[in-house]
Amino acid sequence: MKKASVRARLGAWALLLALLALWELASRASGVSTLVLPPPSAVMKSLWMGLSTGYLWPHIRATGLELLFGLSLGCLIGFASGVVLAESTLLQRLLKPYIVVSQVVPKLALAPLFIVWFGFGMTSTVVITALICFFPLMENTVTSLQQVDPQRLELFRMLGATRRQTLLRLKLPAGLPGILAGLRVAVVLALVGAVVGEFIGASQGLGALIIASQGMMDTPLMFAVLVVIAALGLLLYEITLAVERRLLLPYTRSS
Amino acid sequence: MSFLDIDQVSFTFPGWPPVVRSVDWRIAQGEFHCLVGRSGCGKTTLLKLAAGLLHPQAGSIRLQGRPVLAPGPQLGFVFQSPTLLEWHRVIDNVLLPVSLQHKPSADEIDKAQQLLALLGLAGHAQHYPRQLSGGQQSRVALARALILEPSLLLLDEPFAALDAITRGELQDDLLQMCRLRRTTVLFVTHDIAEAVYLGDQVAVMNRGRIVSAIRVEVQRPRAPAMRYGEAFNRHCAQVRDAMDLEAA
Repeated sequence: MKKASVRARLGAWALLLALLALWELASRASGVSTLVLPPPSAVMKSLWMGLSTGYLWPHIRATGLELLFGLSLGCLIGFASGVVLAESTLLQRLLKPYIVVSQVVPKLALAPLFIVWFGFGMTSTVVITALICFFPLMENTVTSLQQVDPQRLELFRMLGATRRQTLLRLKLPAGLPGILAGLRVAVVLALVGAVVGEFIGASQGLGALIIASQGMMDTPLMFAVLVVIAALGLLLYEITLAVERRLLLPYTRSS
Repeated sequence: MSFLDIDQVSFTFPGWPPVVRSVDWRIAQGEFHCLVGRSGCGKTTLLKLAAGLLHPQAGSIRLQGRPVLAPGPQLGFVFQSPTLLEWHRVIDNVLLPVSLQHKPSADEIDKAQQLLALLGLAGHAQHYPRQLSGGQQSRVALARALILEPSLLLLDEPFAALDAITRGELQDDLLQMCRLRRTTVLFVTHDIAEAVYLGDQVAVMNRGRIVSAIRVEVQRPRAPAMRYGEAFNRHCAQVRDAMDLEAA
């Protein structure tokens, strides 16, 4: 079992190397301009330059901070409103249409408005990121809290549990796997939100850098930034997965 | 005065025909009564009425002379499935009824350990429910129902999902635990042999009514060998006849 997974991982790396080599050869042999499709060697060089001269770091830091703030804000509000909506049918009926409308409007179409409201820079991007993270967490929280096994609810009634105890000691722990699945979706969407938000409303950050490199016709830099974004996304996803695994240990452990 | 007194009780879910129709039943202190019937005959509803989870539209239910209005610590309930909380260790699952009231004391933790030991689970206290077999999970659910030492224990087909041998072991354990504490029991099942083996008295239910009450005159305490005895089989046949008679 373990051996097979090691082999699969090695295979994935080998495939990556083979694809990069193929790309390198193809771009050299075909003579396509570096402006259109730079070879991996040029991308790596640009990436190395950016990292070693410190040019990329402020941008990585800006995007990282926006991600962190946007994700925390969006998840916190999403989780809290999920709990409130799941606990109150009245509020759910009252507010659900508005929430759905707020989600079917593309958030990025709101970006120009946010620039008017919050100014050009970090705040607008944080707000867009938070708005994007909000929905998956809220939806998953509402669904998870409402899907608690009726027999367990009866058990808590039998034992004279208060509403607060039922929420804290039954519904939330029982819904945790679903809520964490929502978090995983939110994390991936947050990166999209932050980068695309920067396209429109920022001068700092990896998204802004992509737009800038387009203006400078520096395609290798653009690819280098894409590599950084992919690495950032992967890192975040793996962290979320590790947290999830740790929290769900008692749920999954079997003899 | 009986210990549990069900008097002319009727219950209807809105928009459906009555589920329980003017049922009269009495259980004396320390007796073990079984309620048998086909699926959908209203036996689980009657049990929930006795627990105070549902309220009758007509009639009354009294426990030791006082009307049952809401569930409370005086009664233990065991569901069809073990309904353990998989994020808590076994010992914390057993202590759940306590920890919902206050932080368990050392004495109460000791008592939970003793209960687990009595049920042969001493070594599993620190495990999670997922790590246990189905029979062991049912035992934990039983321990949880007994931790507050309820005077009345209500069980809703608790062993229905287990294999015959495990079920037999659990039946013996249940009888022993209830005899030790002189607990009064109402046990719902659709298994005739189970009802006769466990019960002092068996009530046969059909379409919301109790149609027959059969006193089980088999020697006590029960032992597995009695399952093949003449008296045991005679009672099984008697219960079966009562069920068939109504179906016809």
